[in-house]
Amino acid sequence: MANGNGSIILELKNITKRFGDLIAVNDISFSVEKGKLVTFVGPSGCGKTTLLRMVSGFAEPDDGEIILDGQNVTKKSPNARDTAMVFQNYALFPHMTVAKNIGFGMKIRKKSRDEINKEVKRLLALVKMEGLGERRPHELSGGQQQRVALARALSLNPKILLLDEPLSNLDANLRINMREEIRRLQRRLGLTIIFVTHDQEEAMSISDLLVVMDQGVVKQVGSPTEVYKKPSDEFVANFVGHINFFPGEVIAFSGDEMDLKIAQGNLKVKRPSSPVSIGNRVKLVVRPESIDLVDARNELAGIENVIEGHIEVAMYIGSIIRYTIRAGDQTICVDKADPQHSDIFQEGSRVKLTLKKEIHMFKA
Amino acid sequence: MSIFSRHHFFQNLVSDTQHFLRSPGLVAVTSVAWILLLLFIVFPIGAVLLKSFTVNFPTVTIISQNNLSSETESEKRVTQTILTALKPLEGVEEIRPTTTEKSSVVVIRFRTVWDDIRGLNDAKRALKKADENLSPYVEKMDFKLGQETIKSFATYISFFSKKYYYEALRNSIVLAITTTVLVVCIAFCFAYLGLKGPRIIRGPLRLLGLLPLIAPPFLFALSLIVMGGRQGILTKAFMLPFHIYGWPGVIIAQVITFLPLGYLMIENVLRSLNPNLDDAASDMGASEIDIFFKITIPLAIPGILKAALLVFIISIADFGNPMLIGGGVSFLATKAYFLWISESNLEMSAVFCVFMVIPSMIIFIVHEYIIKGKKYTTIGGKPQQTEKRKISLKIFSPMMAITTPVSLMIVFCFGIIFVGAFTKILMIDNSFTLEHFESPNGIRSLMNSLRFAFSSALIAPIFGVTLSYILVRRRIPFKRVLEFVALLGFAVPGTVMGIGYIIFFNSPPLKLTGTFAIMVINEAFRNLSVGLEAGMSKLHQIDIAIEEAAIDMGASSFKVFTRIVLPLISSALVAGFLYTFMVGMIAVSAVIFLISPGNHLASLYILSVAEEGFLGMACAISVMLIIVVLACLGTLKLLAQYTKSAIF
Repeated sequence: MANGNGSIILELKNITKRFGDLIAVNDISFSVEKGKLVTFVGPSGCGKTTLLRMVSGFAEPDDGEIILDGQNVTKKSPNARDTAMVFQNYALFPHMTVAKNIGFGMKIRKKSRDEINKEVKRLLALVKMEGLGERRPHELSGGQQQRVALARALSLNPKILLLDEPLSNLDANLRINMREEIRRLQRRLGLTIIFVTHDQEEAMSISDLLVVMDQGVVKQVGSPTEVYKKPSDEFVANFVGHINFFPGEVIAFSGDEMDLKIAQGNLKVKRPSSPVSIGNRVKLVVRPESIDLVDARNELAGIENVIEGHIEVAMYIGSIIRYTIRAGDQTICVDKADPQHSDIFQEGSRVKLTLKKEIHMFKA
Repeated sequence: MSIFSRHHFFQNLVSDTQHFLRSPGLVAVTSVAWILLLLFIVFPIGAVLLKSFTVNFPTVTIISQNNLSSETESEKRVTQTILTALKPLEGVEEIRPTTTEKSSVVVIRFRTVWDDIRGLNDAKRALKKADENLSPYVEKMDFKLGQETIKSFATYISFFSKKYYYEALRNSIVLAITTTVLVVCIAFCFAYLGLKGPRIIRGPLRLLGLLPLIAPPFLFALSLIVMGGRQGILTKAFMLPFHIYGWPGVIIAQVITFLPLGYLMIENVLRSLNPNLDDAASDMGASEIDIFFKITIPLAIPGILKAALLVFIISIADFGNPMLIGGGVSFLATKAYFLWISESNLEMSAVFCVFMVIPSMIIFIVHEYIIKGKKYTTIGGKPQQTEKRKISLKIFSPMMAITTPVSLMIVFCFGIIFVGAFTKILMIDNSFTLEHFESPNGIRSLMNSLRFAFSSALIAPIFGVTLSYILVRRRIPFKRVLEFVALLGFAVPGTVMGIGYIIFFNSPPLKLTGTFAIMVINEAFRNLSVGLEAGMSKLHQIDIAIEEAAIDMGASSFKVFTRIVLPLISSALVAGFLYTFMVGMIAVSAVIFLISPGNHLASLYILSVAEEGFLGMACAISVMLIIVVLACLGTLKLLAQYTKSAIF
């Protein structure tokens, strides 16, 4: 495969890893394109870090192959692989200065001192740490340590940069700044990055491609929008953001629309791309922000997909207000952006909810 | 291990072994470690065990070259005549005749403790009597002294059947119990008052509780002799009708010597108790006495027990104090020494060793595998810094009544050593002098000690720290066994290791007895655990990701070890060095079996000059040792501060 934009740099083929009886990674295959930022995301224990460690070479898969830039590196040790890792706690060498830390890999490769000095200077500038080369790691803040770790990883021009929960040790504001910076750096230098995180918001905001994992298997691979709008199953839907599920049954088709029966009444929705037939049980997936809300006293003539309910809890979170609404046996979560005083429903008031016609669903 | 099934155990073993065999460097280093540990720890201890189950019999072999013409019959007749002649011999266990062509061989095996020279002379005399029957046929008669070794329980049986032997075991147990009870009580008072007593006495009590640490292990015995020995200043001054040798001396000396041990542990547990508990109890109406007996003591019990166990095993295996001040009372360690040095009865010495090893092994195993890693305090959260409660007089006064005389005793013991070192002859000629410091033998022994301590302190931490790296960071099969063996040298009493070395290294190809090297090796392998434990705890503090980062940057295992690991755990190396050096300077129990002429050590020289009555010289050498030890401790403390402030 030729190098160039859009070409495959990393390919995982049927990777499996066991720890005793536990299958940490189960038959995972996918590939990473050059210049993309791919995120492994999932709850703790889902196997994302194990998968990353297999890419870097710190763990060896029991089955499967890892192809890096056309070469099978499955059995290669980490020091013989063209990958570089930024560790969760940065793993800076505490007995070396910042400059020595960054230059370590080049020194191991026996580069000349001038070359190392020049490169270290360039890298320090790249991560905005000019003039701090003589500091020791313990004299730096968390964010600064993070930058040093990044510079050190970049020093060897790796084919892939691996980031293992790099932001989890920073406080909230810094975390957002750092992730934007990593993204900018990645775009500017055309880096290929694999990023591991358990934070779905972080994953959504930074990635070109999400790999959602759970219990050792890949649940969905897709762009952040795809994963958010069209989750492949209940787990993914739940994992990325808030969600409402409506279990229902297909009762009739009319053109490109179909009728569904749910607990709160009948709905008319667009037919999904996957084939369904009458009598199929499905699960509708509706994000809280895609439900309209009006006072129950309003007449909604000619409008379909209306459910009635009453507000149980109204929670004001600043940019949005989040209602928990009881409709029949179910509670439904609805977000309203930019709440103005007039729109705010009091707890206990009766409301009408309107669902859109285009609703993502999967078979129950 | 309990959560894993047997199946898992073997599966792990197999995968560990496969992993292990893949890196030849690791295999080489681990193999060398195993060989050294087996050779210098396991085999000597095993040799002691084996020796205790063997019995040696002195033998006399009679070889008579016969001069017979043709009758083969008479070969047997000669043998028969010899046997008849030997019948009245005393102390015989067994007589074995073998007849070969032209000669008769008769082996006489005497009882174990029979004097072989006497046996030889008896046999010669008996045969002379039968000369007329023998001389016609015998051309030449040779006598050979020898030994026969048999596996048996006989030594154990004679241990338990003679008071001469078993009273040492009984005495040692009584001594250990007495010392343990006293140390725990006194240490508790020191620790309690040091934490909760009036502010002015806290500092001095802490200092005094730890002060005996810097003393060579028999310093207190020495100063007790200076005070209360047969020529002691107090004995003379008050014309006392008794002296300190024997039980009272050993008990007092041991209690003071082991006080810091108990103090450290009990202070640690008392410090960890949440003061809020006292407040809570008081809030519910408990008096100070109630709090003390119902809250403080029950919560401190684990620490107290741990301290008691440790003091018990150290007391039962103690050599220095009973040696110097034991008088005529026999204790395990000293008796084992005397059995070897004056009776050459290594088998019985070995039996004594077994009785010293058993308690320490039990406690070592309990500690390593049951207690270690478990936390005692059940209170979560951060203890609130509260106003310190005022100590009640009902607790304070009895505690003061205990700590005051002990404190005075400690101060007095140190004082008398210093005074004695600079005085011509205490109480007789009290003029100032430096002559005790100028004895050439003393200085030579001190130089030997420095050489000895330095050499062992170079070996022990390097080996220990390397081992700790293998144990913590590498996958090797039988890891726990390796760790256990490495710590064994520390757990087994010095006397046992000394005797083990004598037994094991006394014959080719490893004939090392009498060399300086064997002393150094012994000391180094007994102190492996210091570098090992320091290295392990340091490595546990260092995130493995740091090493992984270096590998990720392209460094080889060797580079990772030299560039990253070694610099990071160098403080463990230095701590191990200083500690082993310090311990080497005041070593007694194992090296006393291994010293040879010309390799005398200061600590042992003190023993011998003290026994000969040159107390001033003994005091002077003790003072020099204390100074060396203090210097080491000071450096250790500086090191601890440095490593805390820098790097980490």
